Amino acid sequence: MIGSIPLNDVLVASAALFCVGLAGALLRRNAIQIFLSIEVMMNAANLALLGYAAVLGSTEGQILVFFVIAIAAAEASVGLAIFVVLFRNKETIDVNRINLLKW
Amino acid sequence: MSRVIFDLAALAAVFFAIVMVANRNPVRGVLSLVVAFSALAVCYVLLLAPFVAVIQVIVYAGAILVLFLFVLMLLNLGPEARPGSSRPVQAILGSFAIIAFGVLLLETLRRSGARVPAPSGIAPASIGDPASLARLLFSDYLLHFEAISVLLLAALVGAFRLANRETDR
Repeated sequence: MIGSIPLNDVLVASAALFCVGLAGALLRRNAIQIFLSIEVMMNAANLALLGYAAVLGSTEGQILVFFVIAIAAAEASVGLAIFVVLFRNKETIDVNRINLLKW
Repeated sequence: MSRVIFDLAALAAVFFAIVMVANRNPVRGVLSLVVAFSALAVCYVLLLAPFVAVIQVIVYAGAILVLFLFVLMLLNLGPEARPGSSRPVQAILGSFAIIAFGVLLLETLRRSGARVPAPSGIAPASIGDPASLARLLFSDYLLHFEAISVLLLAALVGAFRLANRETDR
């Protein structure tokens, strides 16, 4: 319990958010939407981390979330640069049509 | 009371995430994610993490998603083509995997609910305040903090090198 919030609520919300992100990553074909879905999954993990940090009364969990957000920023900048280059070369970011490495 | 607000904010976050996933237009997807991440910031405040909530709004909803929006506007993509036309099996298997994963996750949560670690007394309200966070960040986690700053610099240089038109000739 955090105040009047049961930990279970936090974990169920986190699980639901993670499943939504996973659905987006598996079902979408636009590379940018897949990327956004990965951000949603990261946020689900952050929510669970903060829930446990509050229940255990530790600050370490929040530091970890801080680092996750910093790494997400780095990942977003590099990933989007890759998409820009990809679009410049192939005129599409549909992941079904980007199969240079397939066979 | 705070439970009601938390549940409402979490529901809003999940709802707008679903809107993002279900929408074919990526610009609408980014805008609904801004709302979802702001709702998550409300959750973070209620979980005794006001500093992380502010970071969430400024860095996630503010900077990262605006970067996505910039790139979407730059590429000027149309809406995604109808799915299933090229690979129906992929969509069916994907939906099946997601449902199986969700059921598994909820079942695990239900079974392990009794084994939540014992809290160390009442969580002090000071765990999330910027002063105690900064004290820990600049003492025990100083090395990690510096590693992150080098990583961000590397990402900056890498993104510049990738997207610079002159260098790929």
